[in-house]
Amino acid sequence: MTPKKSPSQEISRLALWFVLFSIITFLSGCTSSNRISGFFYYRLNSTPSTVDPALIADVSGASVAAKLFNGLVRLDDNLSVAPDIAERWKISGDGLRYVFFLRRDVQFSNGRGVRARDFKASFERVLNSGTRSPNVWVFDKVEGAQAYREGRAGDVAGFRVIDDYTFEIKLKRPFSPFLSMLTTTPAYVVAVDGSLCLGTGPFNLASWMPGRELVLERKDHYFDGRAKVRGIVYRIIPEDLTAITEFEVGNLDVISLPATAYSRFRNDKKWSSLIISMRGLNTYYLGMNTSKPPFDDPQIRKAVASAVDTKKILRTFYENRGRPAAGPVPDLLRSWKLDNVRDNGGYDPQKAREIIKNSGVSGMRVHLYITADQDVVDLAEIIQSYLSDAGIEVVLRQLEWSAFKEAVNRGEPELFWLSWWADYPDPENFLFPLFHSSNSGPAGNRTRYCNKTVDALIEQGQFSINKNDRKTFYKQAEELIIKDAPAVFFWHRTDFMVKQPWVKGYKVFPIYTMDKGMEIEGRDSL
Amino acid sequence: MTSYIIKRLVLLIPLLLGITLVSFVLLKSLPGDIALSLVGERASQETIDSIRKEIGADKDALHQYAGYLKMLARGDLGRSYYTGRDVLSDIARKFPNTMKLAFAAMAISVPLGIMAGFAAAYRKGGPVGKMIDALSLAGLSVPVFWSAIMIMVVFSLRLKMFPPSGTGNIRFLVLPACALSIPAAATLVRVTRTVVAEVLAMPFIRTATAKGLPPARIKMQHVLRNAIIPIITIIGLDFGSYLNGAVVTETIFGWDGIGRFTMEGIMKRDYPVIMGCIIAGTVVFVMVNLLVDVLYHYLDPRIRLHANDK
Repeated sequence: MTPKKSPSQEISRLALWFVLFSIITFLSGCTSSNRISGFFYYRLNSTPSTVDPALIADVSGASVAAKLFNGLVRLDDNLSVAPDIAERWKISGDGLRYVFFLRRDVQFSNGRGVRARDFKASFERVLNSGTRSPNVWVFDKVEGAQAYREGRAGDVAGFRVIDDYTFEIKLKRPFSPFLSMLTTTPAYVVAVDGSLCLGTGPFNLASWMPGRELVLERKDHYFDGRAKVRGIVYRIIPEDLTAITEFEVGNLDVISLPATAYSRFRNDKKWSSLIISMRGLNTYYLGMNTSKPPFDDPQIRKAVASAVDTKKILRTFYENRGRPAAGPVPDLLRSWKLDNVRDNGGYDPQKAREIIKNSGVSGMRVHLYITADQDVVDLAEIIQSYLSDAGIEVVLRQLEWSAFKEAVNRGEPELFWLSWWADYPDPENFLFPLFHSSNSGPAGNRTRYCNKTVDALIEQGQFSINKNDRKTFYKQAEELIIKDAPAVFFWHRTDFMVKQPWVKGYKVFPIYTMDKGMEIEGRDSL
Repeated sequence: MTSYIIKRLVLLIPLLLGITLVSFVLLKSLPGDIALSLVGERASQETIDSIRKEIGADKDALHQYAGYLKMLARGDLGRSYYTGRDVLSDIARKFPNTMKLAFAAMAISVPLGIMAGFAAAYRKGGPVGKMIDALSLAGLSVPVFWSAIMIMVVFSLRLKMFPPSGTGNIRFLVLPACALSIPAAATLVRVTRTVVAEVLAMPFIRTATAKGLPPARIKMQHVLRNAIIPIITIIGLDFGSYLNGAVVTETIFGWDGIGRFTMEGIMKRDYPVIMGCIIAGTVVFVMVNLLVDVLYHYLDPRIRLHANDK
């Protein structure tokens, strides 16, 4: 005979069953999906500081801003300058005056039509010292820009409103990449309304929860058609692993594949056909401080270039996630063939050892400064081993990014690992900041390389209006730089994106400003 | 009691001063220039200098600290270097999320830990006791980042039951709360087991059993009551640390709380955010400890709180 249960025990039993039943009901209703219908989901790995074009300094902010704003011109799929708000333009024979003829059907998100004076106001806002824009360099070649910044003029003389739909920019001196520079984020037109920056782009910023997500909503009346998705959600997910899981359960439509997940996705039949590669406009290099021994001697620099088998590192360690770099200019921008660079173009450890031995620096200790990223540390150890074989002892010094940048800007290390990414698709963007002696130090030329012939060639390229002449100047400059070897050029990184099977119309662009989000279609796009 | 509470609150002021000083000195002694990180690659020296001036980095450390204290005295924690947003209001917005997560984790770990601890003490030496011991040891040894990832892989990726990350309703809360509760439950199991085993060996339990009291009453009224102080101490410590933000759990599960905010601040060297989180964390920790002390008094009237208690 079983003992009879007391009423309180019965109540506890019933309560337990009720709790269990509620949990099971709750769990059965749960799903891992979490989406708004018709929206396209991207991942950002950090919260953008701002989406104000004048102030943007990070890629995540710039890629969002590209969908909210427009400039006079933009880049087309071939990296050529194409009309945006300016339907056409004229450049004067001396290369100083740029006249833009604006479309008449462009409106800001508050419905106000865009006029030439809006461009003048937007560009002057970037130059105004009160704005504290980090992007002044885009307009500092315009006539009167300096006087305006220093408060000597009430406006920038070089920005001239001819009529409501005609805008003229006059430069101090010819600068051939200028049109290309006008495709960058700071050259977007904005209407400042209190603390808000209104744009003309295909989307409006609907909500922004810092640390969580940014939501963009499609505009119904955009001058260039209507986007296919109802909106875009940028989810802020700093952790790679979390982002990958979100992608795999279908909560993100596209992600950039982190290096750690690359092999797994590549070898997974489900995903391998959905991987898209994006050849980036960048150059990764091992910089040598040319103002300090032992790398003030071009022979030692050439020896270092011969001592490291960059192609093998690219193939094995970097899993071919890049293209070999022949010089500083990325392959996509180099429209010329490099000659006369054979003498220090390849891996030749024997030659490297001999040069180092003969020059008496054998066993010399140098410092290689790197940032704290794990893949950079691994790579630095490989470089260390190659140079040790050649007779140079390398001490690695790992620093946090801003401390690293400060030390490299000061010229402290003999060796450093850095990369340079294009702001606009022009070879000049890789030659002038990195190798012109006027930029020595923090401005970009961190190898402190100085060659007057190279300076002159880069300047001639900047001033020349003739396309073929520019090509010749840039080619000659690049060949001289490779010969002088202020850096060992490793690779131009290729990024890999993976998309969901339902995604249509997704294209990858070498420069983030090119993606306006017009063609993409996600789940249930309308 | 009131004077005791007031004294503890007054003591918070020198504590905060000390903590701000130590944190400030540590942050300022790090190498690197924050202005360089803020402006990107191509900013002019003029812009960098102007930003340095704006964030006060052009002054010497002593002036910067004095300025910070002055701001703090006004109840202002400053603005984030990156987003320009008010740190105090960001903390106030994120704190309820952290609190939700902390309560959810406690709701799992406290009953689980205490029940399993009791079971382990009563079944000491038996298979159930040994199994609970082994599981609690595993729960203590496995790092949270690993268990969090495993939980995400199993329940999100494989079983597709919960969203892998994000902040929102209870669906988003389940996985981070589970991950966070594992080490807390494991600690509670071990503490409860030890204390309960000690209490069980005491003569009054034998007397209660001999008197024929029902086992449930013995457990609740005699064992738990006498074992509660160390258990409450552990719960208080865990709760205090959760309210400071579970950095790893919140970051992995994308839970928009204080822990993730602190982590973002550290990664970007956003000093006002880091300092703000440290100060808020100190206040919360002191408050929780005070609450625990007061609770001691109610749970065990033999413990008396005096203003001159050390």
